[in-house]
Amino acid sequence: MDYVLLGIQAVFNGPPMFSILGVGVPAALVMLFLGLLTGIAVGATPGLAGPMAMAVSLPILISIFGVRPEALLPVFGFLIGIMKGATVGGAVPAILFNTPGTPDAFMTTLDGYPMTRRGMPMRALKVAHISSVSGDTVSDIVLFVCAPFLAVLVERFLDLPEKTSLIILSLSFIAAVMGSSVGKGLISISLGMIAALVATGEEFHPRLTLGVDEISRGFPLVAAVLGVLILGEIFKSFEDLWRGPAVEVDTIEPEHRDKDGLMRGDIRRIAPHIARSSAIGTVIGALPGVGSTLAATLGYTFGASAHRRRKTSEQKDFGEGAPEGIAATEAANSAVSGANLIPVLSLGIPGNAAAVFLILAADSIGGFNPGPAVFNFTRPAVNPELVVAFGIFTLMAVGNFLNWTIGGVFMRSMGIMARVPIRYLLPVVLLVTMTAIYVQETSFVSLWIAFGFGILGYLFRRLDISVLPFVIAFILTGSLERTARQAFSASGGDPLFLFQSWTSITFLALAVVSVAVLGRRDGPGASKKARVEKS
Amino acid sequence: MHKILTSAVAAAMVISAPFAASAQDWTPPGPITMMIGFAAGGGADTQARLVASAIEDATGWTILPEQVPGNSGLNLAAALRDAPADGTAIGMVVTETLAYNAVREGNSDLQFDQFTMLATTAAFQLGLVAMAEGDFASWDDVEAAAAAGTPIRFGTATERQADMAYHMSQGSGIDFNIVQVAGGSEIMNGLRAGDLDIGWVAGAQAGPVQSGEMVNIATAIPTPLAESPDAPSITDLGSEFYLDGYFMFIAPGGLPDDARQALAQAISDALTTPETEANTLVNRAFGGPAILTGAELDGYMQSAVEAASNLMEAVN
Repeated sequence: MDYVLLGIQAVFNGPPMFSILGVGVPAALVMLFLGLLTGIAVGATPGLAGPMAMAVSLPILISIFGVRPEALLPVFGFLIGIMKGATVGGAVPAILFNTPGTPDAFMTTLDGYPMTRRGMPMRALKVAHISSVSGDTVSDIVLFVCAPFLAVLVERFLDLPEKTSLIILSLSFIAAVMGSSVGKGLISISLGMIAALVATGEEFHPRLTLGVDEISRGFPLVAAVLGVLILGEIFKSFEDLWRGPAVEVDTIEPEHRDKDGLMRGDIRRIAPHIARSSAIGTVIGALPGVGSTLAATLGYTFGASAHRRRKTSEQKDFGEGAPEGIAATEAANSAVSGANLIPVLSLGIPGNAAAVFLILAADSIGGFNPGPAVFNFTRPAVNPELVVAFGIFTLMAVGNFLNWTIGGVFMRSMGIMARVPIRYLLPVVLLVTMTAIYVQETSFVSLWIAFGFGILGYLFRRLDISVLPFVIAFILTGSLERTARQAFSASGGDPLFLFQSWTSITFLALAVVSVAVLGRRDGPGASKKARVEKS
Repeated sequence: MHKILTSAVAAAMVISAPFAASAQDWTPPGPITMMIGFAAGGGADTQARLVASAIEDATGWTILPEQVPGNSGLNLAAALRDAPADGTAIGMVVTETLAYNAVREGNSDLQFDQFTMLATTAAFQLGLVAMAEGDFASWDDVEAAAAAGTPIRFGTATERQADMAYHMSQGSGIDFNIVQVAGGSEIMNGLRAGDLDIGWVAGAQAGPVQSGEMVNIATAIPTPLAESPDAPSITDLGSEFYLDGYFMFIAPGGLPDDARQALAQAISDALTTPETEANTLVNRAFGGPAILTGAELDGYMQSAVEAASNLMEAVN
């Protein structure tokens, strides 16, 4: 309990950024606020997404705040702000212009845009805002409760071999559920592991470097991750632009209405959908590797079938401009973001791109290593990592509050962002990304490395292979090798060390099952696609 | 681990340069990169970063801490060897990085005479640590468990510690399962999580031992441990050697004398000035500052290299 207070204090009594009327405004809160606004703007811009903004801002943040432990909370504040803002902002162009700002807002267009055409854009935006923030809040509460609990459980019951098996299970699961097929997921994971094996390990001489001195300390994390995730995406977008004209933004003037805004009874109508979708989003979010797009699809699908059974005759169907449809989608995709941090904070396993950047931030600054050891309540002296963890929770709670209040107003003014043409946007993002990498690595070699990984990311996208498994494997391989080595020597050199306990065997069996079963039938990844195409 | 926006650094230098010039005869010709050879977030890492902050506050120099972990400090030594010998690159390792690992690895470029020793900061308060409530809370318990056939997982953070663990099993006849982990705080996390049974910790155990969470079942340094003066010495439990050593700042070889003195002085001031956070930390967790510089430090390193060869002979 003391830690909760310490965490809150760390945020509010942190180093002040500036003072108003003699009262210092903590940097963490200022950064949270700025991040939130940035996130909403970025989310509202088609072609940009939260992770991209997080990627680009991280090195800049580190150069501003430095790498002292005090920098952790302001930097996390900004990143969390972006994460929260982007989930809200994605709905804006979806509703106003039939163009989803983020991929997970695609389902929002189905009901949001018809509502706009019927002259109720404000009502649609308000429904989206309420649903999105509610979903996020529910998910965060689950995170606050579950992450410490799960972490303590893991530390108490899992020994080194079980931890090794758990990482193997996570990687297999991610390979199975992400992207278009299990085979492609496995390719992505394996390539990520190979890249991570370069120049690591315990030998005095760096391995697999082919004698190249520049990579004798391994591929720089930032260059590799930004290369695959951001540069690859940019290269692909350039190709799309070159091959065909960009999708025209639909600008039919909506019919004019006198009254626009929430109608009486709206809240009561959407409440059950918000509740259902929040639960779906939270469960999906807690599984590593399953993204918010699937949550949105599931939320919408379940919402639609419930709505069909219950609706009265004058209410609209899903797909014809039902506020319930917006609520079901937005609550589900937003509920993913909080729960997605459960595996990060309790196991150190990132589940999506946003989590990857939080780990990158922690890794760059130092003093905070996401994983089960963070939630060590018994350490007699104050455990600084635990204070940071509760500081993060505090920031998330404050972020939700800001989202409830200012976020809605700001969001409704962001319609203009959808009109920024992508051909101006991409070069700017490319330039900023390259700058960001150079800022953090200060070597030209890392730009070439990033460029190489960018080409790899482009090829992945051309071949319809998901890049996120690659990134997650790249990050997790170090811990996998380390725990495996330790488990092996702790068992006294037993070659069957992974098969000595039932927990470990169960994890391994689940890993095989996840690949085999999800691979044979249409996995969620495949069925998501099918469903999106159907609708 | 990552360097910082050069322009911001340049700006900081412009602001701080006049102040630094008036405070010191020697000033670094640019921002100082401080390589840290330890995992982020551990006790040694914190110590290095606090020393960096204290030096920045006292002198106005700009110090950029950078993580270069791995290979028990040899990654750092290799990176530092190629850095300019003008005071803009220093690194924090332990004495055994150069006095043991380099000897063992055999690369002539990484031997201690290829570097300039700046200053030690604190001595290892090295103990053999176990959980106070666990099954290995004393050496007798360890022997009893071994007699009963229980495998004993022995956490070590460096090559020398691993060799010493093996040397302990030679002397005591107990077969340990020796597990290499990244550092002392990881060993303590492993003890807490039940992943390890006993392990070497070089000072960070002081707090947990004082609060009764952990216990030093033996001391591995020639002087008694402050928090457990009664712990038996490992030399009474089958070892012929101690695991003593220091945390130490080094620079590339051939550093000019004025730079060497100024840097050593700055490090020493950072640790001995009361009320710096570095001073507080070193007093709390590392048994207080223990500073060797100049010829005294070179002499210590010479003898440590000889001791290392003896241990390697004993375990081979």
